[in-house]
Amino acid sequence: MKILVADDSRVMRQIVTRTLRQAGFGDHDVVEAADGRQAFDAVNAEAPDLVISDWNMPEMTGIEVLNALRAGGSRVPFGFVTSECTPQMQQAAQDAGALFFIIKPFTADRFTEVFTPILG
Amino acid sequence: MSTEIVPTAQDLADIVGQVWSSYLDTEGTDPLIPIEESPSTDIVASVSITGGWSGHVVVSCSDAAAKQAAAAFLMMDATEVSADDVTDVLGELANIVGGNVKSMLPASSMVSLPQVVNVSGGSVRWPACVQICELAGVWREEPVSIAMWQKTDLADGNG
Repeated sequence: MKILVADDSRVMRQIVTRTLRQAGFGDHDVVEAADGRQAFDAVNAEAPDLVISDWNMPEMTGIEVLNALRAGGSRVPFGFVTSECTPQMQQAAQDAGALFFIIKPFTADRFTEVFTPILG
Repeated sequence: MSTEIVPTAQDLADIVGQVWSSYLDTEGTDPLIPIEESPSTDIVASVSITGGWSGHVVVSCSDAAAKQAAAAFLMMDATEVSADDVTDVLGELANIVGGNVKSMLPASSMVSLPQVVNVSGGSVRWPACVQICELAGVWREEPVSIAMWQKTDLADGNG
């Protein structure tokens, strides 16, 4: 499977990728996007099986990316990894069809818990 | 309009504890050991929060601590860490702590992109702000400080 990791922080993209590996999902291909616009374009260009996105990014926020994808008919499994977590954000994510909401800092155990039902 | 919701030193300590156990002390052998006085630091990373609560979340540390933090985050040897690695990791550290602080604040609050400054033993000040709490400590024998500065209400005056 192909996983798109979208985060404007190079360090965090690296940590998400490493944590996926630590959680036992190292066999999947990972592609990266450094802002929301790149993430939106990458979904169309790369057809990932899962999108793991930051919330607060330049160009388009994560929730804007998700809303734009759904408006365009994409049903790609999509969720957030973010250091900000308010009830309003979680509600907005859920309303937009996000599958998960992971808060930074996170552990490999948290990734296992969230991604096992999605990635198997 | 001001708000009564202000993150406390304990809130900050809880957030920092999670960051340490996730990235900087994964084995439980390198805790941040508290010290009484604000340490002298070289690198200052911060995010600003505006809205229902306005202020700054500031992570500062020595050059050596910054390199070790970058090495821990990126899982590489400290001797291989570049200046960009230090900037990116310290910025991410401020972003994570600031994002978690923001989560305790009114929904109208916004977090800025991080800023990282090399002050080499100097200090950074924020006009019309007062430090409301600080977690100062030693990590791997190097000084580290995580602090919150709150914008003062000019209408109240001070000093």
